[in-house]
Amino acid sequence: MTATNIPRLARGCRLSEDPAQGWVLLIPEGVLRLSGPGPRILQRCDGSRTFGDIVRELGDEFAVADAALVEAETSAFLERLIARRIVVLE
Amino acid sequence: MGVTVRPQALIAEITHRCPLHCVYCSNPLAMQPRGDEMATDVWTRVFREAAELGVLHVHLTGGEPVLRPDLEQLVRAARAANLYINLITSGIGLGEQKLDALIDAGLDHLQLSFQDAEEEPANEFAGARAHARKLALAEVVRARQIGFTLNAVVHRQNLDRLEAIVAMAERLGVDRLEIANVQYYGWAIENREKLMPTRRQLDACVAAVEMHRKRLKGRMRIDFVPPDYYARYPKACMGGWGRSLLLVDPAGFVLPCHAAGVIPGLAFDNVQARPLRWIWQESPAFQRFRGEDWMPEPCRSCDRRHEDFGGCRCQALLLTGNASATDPVCSLSPDRNLVDAVIDRANAAVVAAPNWVYRIDPA
Repeated sequence: MTATNIPRLARGCRLSEDPAQGWVLLIPEGVLRLSGPGPRILQRCDGSRTFGDIVRELGDEFAVADAALVEAETSAFLERLIARRIVVLE
Repeated sequence: MGVTVRPQALIAEITHRCPLHCVYCSNPLAMQPRGDEMATDVWTRVFREAAELGVLHVHLTGGEPVLRPDLEQLVRAARAANLYINLITSGIGLGEQKLDALIDAGLDHLQLSFQDAEEEPANEFAGARAHARKLALAEVVRARQIGFTLNAVVHRQNLDRLEAIVAMAERLGVDRLEIANVQYYGWAIENREKLMPTRRQLDACVAAVEMHRKRLKGRMRIDFVPPDYYARYPKACMGGWGRSLLLVDPAGFVLPCHAAGVIPGLAFDNVQARPLRWIWQESPAFQRFRGEDWMPEPCRSCDRRHEDFGGCRCQALLLTGNASATDPVCSLSPDRNLVDAVIDRANAAVVAAPNWVYRIDPA
């Protein structure tokens, strides 16, 4: 993943906050329960932000100075979803 | 005894009417008539109660759900309840305008059924001239921003055209292809001999699915439903009785699966008389095969009972006459010979040209 890639949720995948179950990623025939920074990452995969933007915003939000760490963890999270066609790159 | 387990998905059979007459339809032989179909406001309440119970997905199905004139309102109501909405449709009656209205109302995903990759056999299995209209609709759906699954039902009469089915799915650009072998309930059991694949067909199908999954990785997901008569162990039917799914039929009766109406002695409660929560947690029909207390041997002491939950109750009933028996598909079942006899016939016999029993419409 490069800084200029624009990740977004694939068609048919939707982030939702359930009052009792917390943040869930609704996908065809399934549900992924999200914790930690997952929802914060996916909220930003809206087609308007580049991967570089997302990493920068997350670093600010979570006040993490080590940009390389944020980038590595965000990238690993998104790559897992890309392999399952839940996130796509533009 | 109550339960704390949450259902994940609601299968909403909003009508049993259908313009197709598929020879393997999973609807029950005894269908709910049009006059008993529930009104929009009752379904709206059902969606809300389901969401409060923990349901996240609703599958709007039928029959053909598009036949409901209030489908757009139903989608809106399901979305207002914060549900993920999948429309399971034959596509017949779904024009461009109606589709856009559904998407606007909150539709997330559409699953379009195909009976074959070739028009003539497809229309034969559907008992209707549907194939060309499905192809036309698929192009329209693909140009929209919703999830799109092509569901191909496969069996003895079309498995030899599996390559053409996969190629069709690729050409149409679907996100997901479901290759579903016929399961023998409802109308399919009436046509079982003509639908049961041979072992050679099944082996070729499994190999092809594996090859195409690798080839299409990251582009198109392929889900595969095997014909369980050929399996060594039973499927975890519905993820276990009353564990993760519930079905509401057109008249409001709540069932743990599509076929459970065939099981004698079970009384299904109705959402018009009882809260959905009570039906899920407490009703006798949902409690009947929940957990392990009902299990006979060899299930009761089997390590696999946490994985397959004893298999399918409806299949046990249909094949052995006893809904509490171990699913006879299981190689450990004392009734496995019943399943073997069916597949032995399928592999030995020359099956005559199909004389189909077509699904009929409810009154």
